[in-house]
Amino acid sequence: MASKPGSAPTTYTPTPTRKSRPPIFKDSDVDWVRPDGRGFHQCRPAFFRTGAVNAAAGSAYAEFGNTKVIVSVFGPRESKKAMMYSDVGRLNCNVSYTTFATPVRGQGSDHKEFSSMLHKALEGAIMLETFPKTTVDVFALVLESGGSDIPVVISCASLALADAGIMMYDLVAGVSVSCLGTNLVIDPILEEESCQDGNLMMTCMPSRYEVTQLTVTGEWSSAKMNEAMQLCLDACSKLATIMRSCLKEAASATQD
Amino acid sequence: MGLPNVSGDLSAEMEVDAFRRLFPLRFYERHLADSIRPDARPLGRARDTTMALGAVASADGSALTKIGSTTMLAAIKMEVMTPSTDSPDEGCIAIDFHMPPICSPIVRPGRPAEAAPVVSKQLSDTILSSGMIDLKELSLVSGKAAWMAYLDIYCLDADGALFDCALLSAVAAFSNLQIPVVSLNDDGKIVVVSEEGEEGKLEKEPVNKEKRKLTLRSLPFSLTCILHKNYILADPTAEEESIMETLVTVVLDSSSRLVSFYKPGGPVLAYTSAVQDCVALTRQRVKELQKILDEAVSGMEID
Amino acid sequence: MEIDRDDGRTPNQLRPLACSRNILHRAHGSASWSQGDTKVLAAVYGPKAGTKKNENPEKACIEVIWKPKTGQIGKLEKEYEMILKRTLQSISILTINRNTTTSVIIQVVHDDGSLLTCAINAACAALVDAGIPMKHLAVAICCCLTEGGYVILDPTKLEEQKMKGFAYLVFPNSIHSVLPEGSLLVEGEAVEHGIITSVTHGLMSVEEYLNCLERGRAASAKLSDFLRKSIKLQLPTDSFKS
Repeated sequence: MASKPGSAPTTYTPTPTRKSRPPIFKDSDVDWVRPDGRGFHQCRPAFFRTGAVNAAAGSAYAEFGNTKVIVSVFGPRESKKAMMYSDVGRLNCNVSYTTFATPVRGQGSDHKEFSSMLHKALEGAIMLETFPKTTVDVFALVLESGGSDIPVVISCASLALADAGIMMYDLVAGVSVSCLGTNLVIDPILEEESCQDGNLMMTCMPSRYEVTQLTVTGEWSSAKMNEAMQLCLDACSKLATIMRSCLKEAASATQD
Repeated sequence: MGLPNVSGDLSAEMEVDAFRRLFPLRFYERHLADSIRPDARPLGRARDTTMALGAVASADGSALTKIGSTTMLAAIKMEVMTPSTDSPDEGCIAIDFHMPPICSPIVRPGRPAEAAPVVSKQLSDTILSSGMIDLKELSLVSGKAAWMAYLDIYCLDADGALFDCALLSAVAAFSNLQIPVVSLNDDGKIVVVSEEGEEGKLEKEPVNKEKRKLTLRSLPFSLTCILHKNYILADPTAEEESIMETLVTVVLDSSSRLVSFYKPGGPVLAYTSAVQDCVALTRQRVKELQKILDEAVSGMEID
Repeated sequence: MEIDRDDGRTPNQLRPLACSRNILHRAHGSASWSQGDTKVLAAVYGPKAGTKKNENPEKACIEVIWKPKTGQIGKLEKEYEMILKRTLQSISILTINRNTTTSVIIQVVHDDGSLLTCAINAACAALVDAGIPMKHLAVAICCCLTEGGYVILDPTKLEEQKMKGFAYLVFPNSIHSVLPEGSLLVEGEAVEHGIITSVTHGLMSVEEYLNCLERGRAASAKLSDFLRKSIKLQLPTDSFKS
């Protein structure tokens, strides 16, 4: 009996076991509290650590509430054989999710859209001309998705690049804002993202006051948009301070 | 390797790192002759092992384990399925091992690592044949509903002894598993009973009485060793695995029964004495790992 | 020992063996190997220039492709491929044809138990047929452990399913040497007693495993005689091939 168990997998019909969705907390204009008790303009506590993966040239782990991501950087290394000659370096990005990242079990496949967003957000910050003919690979794995995944991935990736010693103009910090009714909430969690009316995500290089990427979905008035952008810029510069201090800590730890 | 004499002459003036890269085998053999390894371990010692249970909030059971720098994250998600007619009272376990591109420079996106399906198969064979889990405990309503436990193990950092670390994280995730309380609704579907027990609602009787844990019988633990000449190196790093290619993985359960003796080829032959030495090393390691797991579990209960 | 086998064999008796080589003329080497109703066809192509990515170019590389009787290849077949590859690598001399790849294609004709061992034996004969340099041959045997703790050899599929556990074991073939007997011992054991490959399934005690080893070694001598004989037989016919 013990000889070949599980050789004939049974057909299964997984039923979604969730009975009732969490009550919608959004009542327009009324004072409601965010599910995790934060203020509207308050970000989740951010935790960063570099050197999470030994096998990689550089890596970083980021945890914002329940959003947990790991980014590994490999290279600069030989480009794919099929690639043409190029006097500037190439950047190759990939974002994937674990099967248990989302509340309902997923397939754990690559996230094409996020991969290209990550590429675009980082491209402008890296000095590609410092590694001609070669490729730098930036691979991200979302261990757990708790909302605002892509901005966290982008911030974490720029830290991993710095850990790998890839030349950059500045660290890239990413923050998103959700529009819920008349309110703007920063750094939304999964629950808030699922019932948002619009979303604005900004990644920028705070020391240079330059934006590398701005993504807007949903309907926004220009006043709202300005307010949201200002919120993001402020949050990004604060985030970059945390990221920078994480790098400094790691550097002083290795010196000792 | 082909020029042993040359390396002997050069080694005096060469930098250690250069020597290590150019003549890796000679580098190791010099250490082995003094019964020490480059990372300062004696030959039979495994690397430091740590474990954190409940690392993933969105899963029903999870564990993060580290052996040296090899890191594995295992998580279990419970879903409901209709059991097959052959075994109406049994649930099912689906085990998958993933090597995402973050874990090693040799894995590229879109091209899965060669080792991943092999480790995956080894893990399911080991866990199922060890009899650790009674599939009957995963039954909910006979013939109608049973649990399908999806165990996914992600390698976050690959530095040798992947199977050992993966098996440890799998066992730890199962001991961390909390099965949700569910009931059967009128449509014959299984639904989650909310924990607060909202009164007044027409809640059906829960199918499984309380938040249950699986009773785990005889846990399997493993140790991988390298055979090189007459040396046996326990718990190899990735570098050691690439230089000395004969690997032996022994899996024993808590009562010292042999679950698997796995030696996939390799230039060194295993004689009876080597087999017994590997088993003896594994016996010691099983005790260590059992202790680490017990500590992690009792640590969770205090919280 | 009181074990009744469905086909009336004694516990140590193997099913009838058959091996023929050079059966495919496009391949550089080929062989079919059957043990009772289990039959496997192996074809060898190469050595071809270059190694695949992530392989050591300073050594010859062996690639194994497993073709099941029907359907797609799954995890089980991937595992078989890896075990075969490692086993064949360990018996071949990889430093002669450096930076080359030799492909071994295994086609399952019929599976009636002991499939992996049959495939290893077939692949070994095919490598000989292709003239790939090898240190020695390998013989593979499947030992089954009954509920009562008895060992039976070369199980059929039906027997495999009833068993408590089984072990696939691969040993080097026995060496016929001009050196005096006893000079080839390693730690008091003959070279052919060393395990090249071991894969086990099911719970057993360590003693039971060692018992399996003992029986496997005894049977491997018979297998290795058979392999030697079948290779010798066909030598004159294909001597012009090289």
